[in-house]
Amino acid sequence: MIEVRNLHKIFRTGEIEVEALKGVSFKIEDGEFTAIMGPSGSGKSTLMHLLGCLDQATSGNYLLDGVEINELSDNDLAVIRNKKIGFVFQQFNLLARTSAWKNVEVPLIYRGVRRKARRAKAKEMLEKVGLGHRLEHNPNEISGGQRQRVAIARALVNDPALILADEPTGNLDTTTGGEIMDIFQELNQQGHTILMVTHETEIARAARRIISLRDGLIESDEVRAS
Amino acid sequence: MIRETIRMALHSLKINKLRTFLSMLGIIIGVAAVIAIVSIGSSAQQEVAGQIATLGSDLIWVTPGRGSGTANPREGFTLEVIDFIDLYTPDIVNVVPEITTGVELVRGDTAVSSTVVGTSPGFAKANLYFPVLGRFLENDDLEQRRNSLVLGSEIARELFDRDDPLGLRVRIDFRSRRLNFTVVGVMEDKGQGIMGNLDNRVYIPVTTHLQRLNQENYVDLYYAQAAPEASAQEARGQLEYFFLKYLGEENRYNIFSQDQILEVLDQVTGTLGLMLAGIAGISLLVGGIGIMNIMLVSVTERTREIGIRKALGAKKRQILGQFLVEALALSGIGGVFGIGLGWLGTFAVTEIGGWMLVMSPISIMLAFGFALAIGLFFGIYPAVKAARLDPVQALSYE
Repeated sequence: MIEVRNLHKIFRTGEIEVEALKGVSFKIEDGEFTAIMGPSGSGKSTLMHLLGCLDQATSGNYLLDGVEINELSDNDLAVIRNKKIGFVFQQFNLLARTSAWKNVEVPLIYRGVRRKARRAKAKEMLEKVGLGHRLEHNPNEISGGQRQRVAIARALVNDPALILADEPTGNLDTTTGGEIMDIFQELNQQGHTILMVTHETEIARAARRIISLRDGLIESDEVRAS
Repeated sequence: MIRETIRMALHSLKINKLRTFLSMLGIIIGVAAVIAIVSIGSSAQQEVAGQIATLGSDLIWVTPGRGSGTANPREGFTLEVIDFIDLYTPDIVNVVPEITTGVELVRGDTAVSSTVVGTSPGFAKANLYFPVLGRFLENDDLEQRRNSLVLGSEIARELFDRDDPLGLRVRIDFRSRRLNFTVVGVMEDKGQGIMGNLDNRVYIPVTTHLQRLNQENYVDLYYAQAAPEASAQEARGQLEYFFLKYLGEENRYNIFSQDQILEVLDQVTGTLGLMLAGIAGISLLVGGIGIMNIMLVSVTERTREIGIRKALGAKKRQILGQFLVEALALSGIGGVFGIGLGWLGTFAVTEIGGWMLVMSPISIMLAFGFALAIGLFFGIYPAVKAARLDPVQALSYE
């Protein structure tokens, strides 16, 4: 479960201060599929980084599974990212010249899982996203949609509490993007908590709940009737 | 985790083969240079020391000094003195005179240039140099001033090919003099020594040489040996004392012994080797700076990769470890190749020189250890830089 209370984030560059988040609060229950929307500069990327434990808030509270993230050290943040969060990026962010399964096993390496078990788990995840036949392919040898599937497999490999997707269909055509959204739907139905940042209303519609941000504040928070 | 770190480091070195090779090049050349220089140096030293040892053991040379006046510097270097040396220096045995003259040797239509050495029977023992055919000079040859001739092995081949030369005549031409000698022996192959090549010389009684060939009273030098039970230093001291008393002035003679030559040689090769190894060490250092360059470029180029790894849960020390191990692997693998290359170079040089290969294990360990230390030292800064990257900024790096 995620709980965010009165989250502020201020960036300082020299004399200039920019308040990207001006007090954001919400709660996300396990198994929810939430989209965060907003124009550029609304603070959605900043919120995404905070929720992904890549950065820490200037003030406010962020409870992830009951742990206060804002009080953790860099090292502890790394552990939380490794165990609790699965990232899916717009740019895919796969390691170049590294095979699909070796990309998927990276989070397991940092968790200290043995090599044999890693390979089996990576293979299982790739099969789950329909890439069981592409284990040894490098990212440049497969299509954009397949790359994003590898990234999803990688996000799932440590069985995280939260899947964070940042514009996951931004670099894909509509058909492939639709396929990726189907995978997210399916994962959600299997019980995964998904938080997706997007500026496309079309894509956001896949989520049951849409939080809209504007100028660092929540503008609306609606749950669609299914 | 260490195994995984090594595996990751090797993987990223593998996917950038050219860059990896180029950054190793400095270390490879540096390590190879250190090893080759030190090993070639010690092989050469061994070779020269070996040659000196084959000259004979515990030899002492007495040569004329520059003198003070305009008189012949060899004045006083007579044959008669030898008896007095034997008498007054108990720790010196086997004093051998030597006088050399460049001559033409004529046999029928064949003429070769050679050096005639006038000496005594003790020459063979002092130089550990013995005949393979016939005999060396004997006391009788000296006493009778016989025209006996002992050939160096190369001269024997040139004048007689494979024929038996014993008892045959050879003419020695020196200035206007033409003297006929009878061959009484042929010496073994000795090769290049510190006093020159013994094989292309011929040996005649020193008495004959002085009376008939040079028509002088003085020899060029004396060889002497310390008695086996005496200390070389004591023997030398006695000889010094004798010549000082005999000639009256220190600058009229020089005395030097084999261990002195060895010592000077050691010093020269040691200093030279140290200097060259220092230069090679500098090239190792430059190689290390090359590694730092590449690692810094690598960190910048792979900022995004570092961001991804951090997002996936890599801790600071894991990123630090990965880049440090990469730098160490670069220098370590470079070091191994360098050892191979250095060995190859040493092998080639010693093969050409016909020397014995002496690989110095200390130089190998030293060069390899130094390479690793350089990799570690120059790898730390880029690795720290990588570990400190902010994940958000690293991820958005284009």
